[in-house]
Amino acid sequence: MKEKIGVYICHCGGNISDYVDVEKVRDVVEKEEGVVLSKTTMFACADSAQKEIVNDIKENNLDAIVVASCSPKLHLSTFRNVAERAGLNPYNYVQANIREQCSWAHTDKPKEATEKAIRIVRACVGRVRYSEALEPFTIPAANIALIIGAGVAGMRSAISLADMGTHVYLIEKSHFIGGRVAQMGELFSTDEKGEEIISDLYDEIKKRDKIQLFTGAEVVSVSGSVGDYKAQINIRPRYIVPDCDMNKLKEAIAECKTEIPDEFNFGLTQKKVIYKAYENCRPEIPAIEKDRFNPDQKFLEKYKDCIDLEQKTETLNVNTGTVILSTGFDPYEPEDGEYGYKKAENVITLQQLKRLIELSNGKLEYNNREIKNIVYVYCVGSRQKEGENKYCSRYCCTAAIHAALLCRKKFDSVRGFHLYRDIRTYGKHELLFDEVSRQGDIFFRFNEDESPVVETANGKLQVKFRDILTNNEEVAIEPDLVVLVTGMIPRKDSSTVAGILKTPVGSDKFFNEVHPKLRPVETVIDGMYICGTCQGPKNITESITSSLSAAAKSNSLINKGEIELEPTIIRIDPEACEWCDKCAEICPFDSITKTEYSPDGQKGKTIALVNESTCKGCGMCAPVCPTDAIDIIGYTNNEIESMIDGLIKEV
Amino acid sequence: MMNNNMNSPEQISTNKLEYDVLVIGGGIAGQEASLNLANNGFKVLMVEKDLSIGGKMIHLSKVFPTLDCSACIATPKISETARNPNITIMTYSEVEDIKRNGNGLKAMVIEKPRYVKADLCTGCPICEEKCPVVVEDEYNYGLTGRKAAFIPFDLASPRIAAIDIENCTLCGACERACPPNAIDFSMEKKEFELSVKSVIIATGFELFPAEKKKEYGFGQFKNVIHSMQMDRLLAPTRPFNNVLRPSDGRMPDNIAYVLCTGSRDLSVGNPICSQICCMYSIKQAQLLLGALPMTDVTIYYIDIRAFGKGFDEFYEQGKSMGVEFIKGKIAKIEEKENGNLTLKYEDFENGGKTVEADHDLVVLSVGILPNKDVSGFFKSEPIALDIHQYVKQEDELMSPAKTSIEGVFVAGTSSGPMDIPDSILSAGAASAEAAAFIRSLK
Repeated sequence: MKEKIGVYICHCGGNISDYVDVEKVRDVVEKEEGVVLSKTTMFACADSAQKEIVNDIKENNLDAIVVASCSPKLHLSTFRNVAERAGLNPYNYVQANIREQCSWAHTDKPKEATEKAIRIVRACVGRVRYSEALEPFTIPAANIALIIGAGVAGMRSAISLADMGTHVYLIEKSHFIGGRVAQMGELFSTDEKGEEIISDLYDEIKKRDKIQLFTGAEVVSVSGSVGDYKAQINIRPRYIVPDCDMNKLKEAIAECKTEIPDEFNFGLTQKKVIYKAYENCRPEIPAIEKDRFNPDQKFLEKYKDCIDLEQKTETLNVNTGTVILSTGFDPYEPEDGEYGYKKAENVITLQQLKRLIELSNGKLEYNNREIKNIVYVYCVGSRQKEGENKYCSRYCCTAAIHAALLCRKKFDSVRGFHLYRDIRTYGKHELLFDEVSRQGDIFFRFNEDESPVVETANGKLQVKFRDILTNNEEVAIEPDLVVLVTGMIPRKDSSTVAGILKTPVGSDKFFNEVHPKLRPVETVIDGMYICGTCQGPKNITESITSSLSAAAKSNSLINKGEIELEPTIIRIDPEACEWCDKCAEICPFDSITKTEYSPDGQKGKTIALVNESTCKGCGMCAPVCPTDAIDIIGYTNNEIESMIDGLIKEV
Repeated sequence: MMNNNMNSPEQISTNKLEYDVLVIGGGIAGQEASLNLANNGFKVLMVEKDLSIGGKMIHLSKVFPTLDCSACIATPKISETARNPNITIMTYSEVEDIKRNGNGLKAMVIEKPRYVKADLCTGCPICEEKCPVVVEDEYNYGLTGRKAAFIPFDLASPRIAAIDIENCTLCGACERACPPNAIDFSMEKKEFELSVKSVIIATGFELFPAEKKKEYGFGQFKNVIHSMQMDRLLAPTRPFNNVLRPSDGRMPDNIAYVLCTGSRDLSVGNPICSQICCMYSIKQAQLLLGALPMTDVTIYYIDIRAFGKGFDEFYEQGKSMGVEFIKGKIAKIEEKENGNLTLKYEDFENGGKTVEADHDLVVLSVGILPNKDVSGFFKSEPIALDIHQYVKQEDELMSPAKTSIEGVFVAGTSSGPMDIPDSILSAGAASAEAAAFIRSLK
């Protein structure tokens, strides 16, 4: 039992002391059993206050401390470190949350907030009184990362990790790498080509022995925990014989007549069922869409050295220390009839326009019609009042303006009319907005409640809207093409991935970081990171920045070959345990199995066994144990009962 | 030299230093980059020009879009940086002349004298109390005064005093009063010769000087303040207990925000968007509605650029709380006799007529400008800057942290406008690139 407890009550500037009478809290808590020192402090987390606590612990030989401040999520490790620096075991520190749970929650009732703060602090003093000195234990960690998704973010992350000394498994669901950037043609603001960037990254990956790339590969299950994840990966066959004669395969492709819509070109063109994503795609080996492929026996016999429809899905099991998710985004696909999409002729999306620019030569044509005037409608599928797409997709304003500039550069006299809500060419991208305006594109602003109407009237494509900038004048334009500036949505399969990895998603259905500033690439699962557009809309620079950041975090976690884990897990009392399997059944982490217990060499009994590296100390098992054989280290029965006593004591 | 972790390397006495990485700038980006590298086992020297690390973020109130208290996020990071055994910090120091030196780089670091012995000062306020000289407090952006013998600010790290020798009258009052005799007017600047393998530039940005936009009358009309001053008025470490307008100390009840002050504006030489002003203005507006419930807040804008994760939702929240948004670029501000201000603008949404509006406090949402110090670090081998004078990103898309000099990387707003989340991510990227670069030298 601790008998020399120090208590610090934080003002948090005014965050706490504006509503909680911190002096009163101190006066009351001072009288608690075992409390020998109690102080208020302006910012307990400030460097000077930390120094003061260290000095107090040393001078007064304190054997436990409580800091009453904010959520332990913010500062638990800060004050554990303070304790440690003063020579006190960090687990003899307990944090009382009187900000999120008290001052912020009860701004209208300062008196009651103060009373609640007193109870919370007393409870924490009660807990620290029975706290035990604990030592974190270390587990070995493989310096290996599994990266899911080989778009620009995943590839760049892989290269960076390899260069920092981590072994990488890079897996890509498609048979070809490059993700969305490969489809984008020329990119803002450097005018580099997406395809060339992808080829360059592929070459860099091939140069590095530490990276193993698998295409057609999907993760189907992940078990284990940080430092020691086990992933099962299914690798779909390409149905092409490895190292076959490429010329003969080309012949086969030429002879094959079955065509299907080419999703790389967003359905603007058809492709053969034996296909490459695009001419210079990587890897360069074609793949076959087997479900749509019905060749005759003669064809198969003729090309049996190249094509093998008997190839089976292979399973690969890998061990990895961390997992990085870089699964990317899907472009928003408008509903049928949304701004005339698929109803009126010549209405396409921004992504289709970028492909159209790439596929066109000298003349911009769509549906056999030369395009001279384009209307761009912004925020399609973004910033919606209803549904999940309330967010701004961030990249589309700049991307649309860059596309308009490209049209002007590549094709003669293509004019753009831009119907927008706010132009968000933030930062240096503003120069593109200036440039396209200078070149003569015209901008109209519509009200979100009165969206433009796109329809075919008298055989002509027409866009009608009211322009806020000219006194709500009704304007009608008859363009050759309407481009819907569609944003980013989470990939269709991201919920499957989330299900397998148990990584949480936010209200926008993108993967969620722990905290946008403190832990922007981390998920709540230790050793699992997110980067690129699977976390939220981003442009390419921003995706790469986050992917390198994830690489840095992943590497610093596992590069030492071991990881320290919290000692606050469960403990089985072997004498009391009668193995009924109730604890194993309820454990959400599958951390409990059974073992034989024979302390004196006699015939023993079966009892529960805890896997220390996967147990999170969540405590689900403790209340279901009929013989009270489970204690949670750091939350023992003594500590909890003492907390309850502190809470219910009259103020 | 400050070495908070008390494990001062021996090189210090010989004025020769050797580290793996030099991080220039102790703001949030510099801290994040240093911590990543230190946790990776590299030895880092952080050089900060100011008396304290912490940069701009430590002075903010709350931060968008989560409305976290800024100091609550910044202080643990500052503390972690200051305490990391792999990080040595030099405050009030400047870098000069980074040169190639074989595989690595050489630099001069000059530590300016603070006239207070860091190892003796306890951070007590006695010198401050005794000092008779009062000057403007730059950490409160001129809203309050400070002494010539002073502790920079409450959350400073290191939290020790300094003498502002420019304004000091050498009366000796502080020297006589200091209990541990820490004040020493004979201190001189110290020069150090530094060898490193890699450099990260994280020097941050400069605020647009609001007085440069003459039509808005900043510095001339008392009740025209800039947004960083408003953030100070709203911060938990605020100078007054409430938001007061400067002319008469009254609580304002009709506040205007003028967006794009010094941004998207060729007339002041800054054509680009500063990327953060829309959001911080919406944040301040929401905080003001909480601090002064009876107050009206109007934001005059060209476009609202709420583009990041959760930003547009934050904008919608502002609207639903009652913040008024008016599309219109303010042409001119005039002062009335009672200190109120008249704003003239073209009212786009109502026919484009020129309209006047009265407000009793105007906040200029000032943009950000590049930190001009950077070119001074590289006198021998100049570093490439972009047309706006930010550090040029040599491979903007695939290696955003890369600069024109091998082994030198850029983090945070040194390469262009960025909000805090983006600065932190870019610092992560710079640290990954530096770590890989150092490994490639072996």
